[in-house]
Amino acid sequence: MSEAVTSEPVLRTKNLTKRFGGLVAVDDLSIAIAAGRVHAIIGPNGAGKTTFFNLVTGLLSPDSGRIFFRGRDITGYRPHVISRLGIKRTLQVKSVFPDLSVADNLWITRQARNRYLHAFRPAKADKETGLRVEETLEKIGLADLAARPAGTLSYGDVAMLEIGMAIISEPSLLLLDEPTCGMSPAETGRAVAKIREMARTIDLIIIEHDMDVVFGIADDITVLAQGAILASGGPAAIAEDERVREAYLGRPEDEDFMEEALNA
Amino acid sequence: MRRRALEIGMATAGAAFLVAVPWLIPALIDNFWVSVITEILIWSLFASSVNLLFGYVGLLSFGQALYFGFGMYGVALGIDHFGLSFWPAFGLGIVSAMAMALVSGVFAVRLSWHYFAIITVVFSLIFYFLAVSMKPLTGGDDGINFTLPPVVNFGGKVFSLTDPTLQYFFVLAVVSLCLFLMHRIINSPLGKGFLAIRDNDLRASLIGLNVYALRLIAFVMAGFLAGVSGALFAFFGRYASATYMFYQVSGEAVVWTIVGGAGTLFGPLVGTALFIVIREIVSSHWEHHSLIVGLLAILVVIFAPKGIVGLFNGWLSRLDERDAGQPAPRRLTLQAEP
Repeated sequence: MSEAVTSEPVLRTKNLTKRFGGLVAVDDLSIAIAAGRVHAIIGPNGAGKTTFFNLVTGLLSPDSGRIFFRGRDITGYRPHVISRLGIKRTLQVKSVFPDLSVADNLWITRQARNRYLHAFRPAKADKETGLRVEETLEKIGLADLAARPAGTLSYGDVAMLEIGMAIISEPSLLLLDEPTCGMSPAETGRAVAKIREMARTIDLIIIEHDMDVVFGIADDITVLAQGAILASGGPAAIAEDERVREAYLGRPEDEDFMEEALNA
Repeated sequence: MRRRALEIGMATAGAAFLVAVPWLIPALIDNFWVSVITEILIWSLFASSVNLLFGYVGLLSFGQALYFGFGMYGVALGIDHFGLSFWPAFGLGIVSAMAMALVSGVFAVRLSWHYFAIITVVFSLIFYFLAVSMKPLTGGDDGINFTLPPVVNFGGKVFSLTDPTLQYFFVLAVVSLCLFLMHRIINSPLGKGFLAIRDNDLRASLIGLNVYALRLIAFVMAGFLAGVSGALFAFFGRYASATYMFYQVSGEAVVWTIVGGAGTLFGPLVGTALFIVIREIVSSHWEHHSLIVGLLAILVVIFAPKGIVGLFNGWLSRLDERDAGQPAPRRLTLQAEP
């Protein structure tokens, strides 16, 4: 797909490598992700998908290689700096601020875009942020639960809150790590609709195990195996690819994945 | 509705009591208890520095006595060695506590949980032993005494803290001002940033918060609160001593804060008042009064993990729900019915 890119890719890595002891989690990975498209990264467990996200967002630093965000070298930047450049992400294990109210979760996420947090002005006085929070609560359908501590929400609602936090932070690139993992079919449908809506204005990279979701959302798909690109292309090409089928079917310990691939 | 009224009522009663202390307490008990209450106010400010870190940022410090000690010695050395007058000595105490907090904070806030707790203890122990060994400067365990300079000198009219009533109101005013500042900060965008870090520091960094910088800011602010309380205590006792830099002093503030209610503005005041009153009443009859302290602390941690103020707030919230008329559980049962 990289040949099709005419403008600067939103995200590009050059010979990116990350090792954990003897294990090479990301192996000399050079990838270019086109702007204006939804890019899915799939692959068996241990393929290095989440490690790739961790490298891009600065939670891990690579052993070698570079990472470019819209042409800017962001290798070695700290997580909050990368976040302020406009790269936001969700985590595989749902992660919000459990003791803060749903509204405050959104509020601080919006405020964190600023370089400085005001120390003496009351938080309530910030009308603009307050308005954004209300808007977002409506969008994700959690307005009724605004005052509830986020830690008391149901799993599906927490996932929606995470999507809300992604929306309110107005990212320019959003990395979604298994956004529908653990959701009921109804919740998955709701989440997929939101993700599609976001994709109209935001560049998205999504790690997903649910093949229905992947093939329903993605414009481009990259298949990772053992930290390297196994195949990449449009959904149709990936579905046909023999190597991809082999990679999935050849790993009997990864039963989920076998099923998923067979159903796809 | 009822909650609001109750809160306003309690705040008014509390404020009225604190203002009436210099007349009310001598009339009811004796003069000695005015100075006990003064001491409670000072130590509750010290406990507030633990509270700011633990209750609002999620950092459990067992070394706040270090900054208390710096506040104390800043005042004592300022007056005794450098011949400073009241306010510059006060300032020196606060600034040196904050500077020390900045220096140790640069290292400490890189760590979290037990590693953070350990490094704060280590820092305070290092400076405790330094202070004990530098006897010519610090007076070691014996400490240094000084003569209190006047607060203001209005064309011959001298106001000094040697007047117990003036001293009480001075402490009350400073402590109130500090708690008001803390209240402002907690409810500001910065305060919400603190809470976000307390709840989930990984997520906080991913939404763009500079976790390290915010923790360092909080640590220096806590150094400020501890420094002010140490300076006040130096004025109160007219002396400074290395014994107040020992980690046991830090540990007491942690217990007071947790029992009173970490993460609530008045929790430290309630916890400190409770334990100092117990100490004053029991210690003259029974030398093992710390057993009561331990037992109370265990009971509170088990049965009221959010402390006494947390327990009270929970009770207020239930009152609120009842007033709202539509409590959440009832709605659930309605839904469950066909």
